[in-house]
Amino acid sequence: MSELTGRKTLSDQDLRRIARLSQKRSSRSRLHRSLPLLALLIPGLVFVAIFHYLPMFGLVIGFEKYDIFLGANPIDAIFKSPWVGLKNWTDLWIKSKFRQAIINTFIISALKVGICFPLGIILALMINEVRSNIAKKTLQTVMYLPHFISWVVVGALFMNIMGTTGIVNQVIVALGGETQKFFMDNRWFRFLLVLTSEWKETGWNTIVYLAAMAGIDPELYEAATIDRANRFQQILHVTLPGIASTVVMMLILRLGGIMDAGFSQILVMYNSTVYKSGDIIGTYIYREGIGKFNWSQGTIVGMFNSLINMLLLLGGNWLSRRLTDRSIW
Amino acid sequence: MAQAVKTKKTSITYGLSTGEKAFGIVNFVILAILGLLMLFPFVNLIAKSLSSNTAITTGQVTFWPVDFQTGTYRFVLKQGQFWNSFRISIVVTLCGTFGALIMSCITAYPLSKKWLWGRKFFALIFVFTMLFSGGMVPSYILMRALNFVNTIWVLIIPALLGVYNMILLKNFFEEIPEAVEESAQLDGAGSLRTLFSIVLPMSLPALATIGLFYAVGFWDNYMTGLLYITTPSLRPLQTYLYQLVTEATNISAETMTAEDMELASLNTEAIRAATIMLACVPIMCVYPFLQKYFVKGMRVGSVKG
Repeated sequence: MSELTGRKTLSDQDLRRIARLSQKRSSRSRLHRSLPLLALLIPGLVFVAIFHYLPMFGLVIGFEKYDIFLGANPIDAIFKSPWVGLKNWTDLWIKSKFRQAIINTFIISALKVGICFPLGIILALMINEVRSNIAKKTLQTVMYLPHFISWVVVGALFMNIMGTTGIVNQVIVALGGETQKFFMDNRWFRFLLVLTSEWKETGWNTIVYLAAMAGIDPELYEAATIDRANRFQQILHVTLPGIASTVVMMLILRLGGIMDAGFSQILVMYNSTVYKSGDIIGTYIYREGIGKFNWSQGTIVGMFNSLINMLLLLGGNWLSRRLTDRSIW
Repeated sequence: MAQAVKTKKTSITYGLSTGEKAFGIVNFVILAILGLLMLFPFVNLIAKSLSSNTAITTGQVTFWPVDFQTGTYRFVLKQGQFWNSFRISIVVTLCGTFGALIMSCITAYPLSKKWLWGRKFFALIFVFTMLFSGGMVPSYILMRALNFVNTIWVLIIPALLGVYNMILLKNFFEEIPEAVEESAQLDGAGSLRTLFSIVLPMSLPALATIGLFYAVGFWDNYMTGLLYITTPSLRPLQTYLYQLVTEATNISAETMTAEDMELASLNTEAIRAATIMLACVPIMCVYPFLQKYFVKGMRVGSVKG
C-alpha cells in the first residue's frame, strides 16, 4: 500500500483497469476453486440427462405413428417412424373415454384438495393444542404411520374393511341398510378415493404445519393471554397468521400435483365397473398406451398432462411470490 | 430470573378457565378416537390373519382373533414366491437407498455452495425435471432401449436420484457454517474429504430423513415391477402383493401340494391378510426409530423462505 501511494496517485483509468483485471481473476479463480465440486456434480448431471431429459426428447413419438419394432432398437425406431403431426391428438380427443379421464382427473383432484388440504391444517391445529408431550408424540406416531405404507397395502386394508363382506357393510346391514359395493359403485368410488388418501396422508401433511407452529414466537401467545384472549382466539389470531405463508407454499406444491389425481392409488383400487368415475389420465395412459401398445397416443396424453402441470406450478409460484414473497425455488 | 419464569408459568396454568380445560379434553378425546380409527384397518386385518376359516366366513372377526391360529403365517412363510419377492425387495431397498444417498450427497453438496461456478444454471437443470417430464411411455421405451427390462437394475438405477430429496439435503447443507468447512480445508482436506468427514457427520438427521424417504420409496414401489418385470424370480414384493390383491389370485391354486392340504382349513382372505402384514414388517421395524430424525429433518429442509 505504501508503495502505491508513495509513487503517484492512481488515475481513473488505472483504477478501472485494476478493477477489470481483478474481476477477471476472481471469476477464473472461482471456476478454478469450483472444479473439484463440479466433478462431484457429474454423476448427477449424467443421471438427469439419461433418465429425465432423454425421455423429454422421446416426446417426438407423440407426433409420429411410432412402431417399436421398426428400427434396430426402440430408439432407432423413433427416427424411422412416420411423422403424422397432431393426428394422434385429434384421434384421442373424439374418444369419450379419454375426455372422461380428463374430467375425472380434475374432479378427483379438486375433491382431494378441497377436503384433504383444509383437514390437514385443522388436524395440525388440534395436535398443536395437546399439552402433554407424551400424548402428542403418540398421536403423531400413529398419524404419520400410514404415509409409509404402500398403496397396495392401503388398498388391501380398505378392501378388507369396506368390501361386500367387510366390517363396514356388516354395520350397515346391522343398522338396517343395504350392502354397498363401495369398490364397484360409481356413486361411491370417488368418496372411497378421498377417504383412503385422507387416511394415508392427512397425518403426514400436518408435519410441516406443526414445524411452522413450533417456530411461532411464544411471546405472542403470552401477549395474547395478557389481553385475555382465550385458546380459540389465540388459534385464530396468533397460530393461523403464523402459519399462513407455509399454508400458501403447501397449496402451491399441491397445485403441482393436481394432474396426478392418484395414479398408484387408483391403479390398485379401480376396476372396469368404475372407469366412469375413477379412470384418470395416468391410468388411461397405462391401460391404453402401454397395455395396448398405443405408444404414440400414450405419449401425447403424457405431454398434455405434463404441460398443464408445469403451467399450474409456474402460475402458483408466481402468485405466491406476489402474495407472500416466498417461492419454491 | 428462573423464579420469574416459574411464576409466570403457574399463573398461566391457573388462568385456564373451566371452558378452556373442557376444550382441551374434548380436543384430546377427538384426536384419540381419530387415532384409533386410523389404526383400525390394521387391527382388523391382523385379527383376520389369525382367525379360523369359519370365524371369518361367518363375519365374527372385529378387533380380536376368533379361534386363534397361526397356520396362515406358517403357510405364507413356506411360499417360495413370497420369500423370493421378499429377498428381491430387501436387496433393492438396501442397495437403492445406499446408492441414492451417495448420489444425493455428491449432487447436493456442490449445489449448496453459493460461490459455485454456474450454480444457478446447474440448479435449474435439476429443478426443471420436477416441472416437466417425458411421461410414462417415453420412459418405458428408454428402459427397453437400455435393455433394463427384466433385470434388477430397472428397480434400482432409475430411482437413484430423487430431485426433491436432493433439494431437501441441499437446504440442510446450506445451514452448516462455512467456517467449519474452511478450517478443514486449511488443514489440507479436499472437497470430497470435507464432504465425507465434516459435512456428512453433521447432517445425520437430514440423512436419516431422506434415507427413510428413499427406503420407503424403494420398498413401496409396485409400479416399476409391474411395468418392467415379467420374470417371477425378479418380481418385487409389492408387485407380488398387487397381483395378489387385484387379480385375486389364489396362492394356493398354483402351489397346492399334498402337504398343503391343511390349506383346506385356511381361509384365502386370511392368507392374503397374513402376506400383507408380513410385507409391512420391515417398515414397521425401522419407522419408529427414525421418527425423531425425520421430524427434525423436515423442519430444516422444507420450511424455508
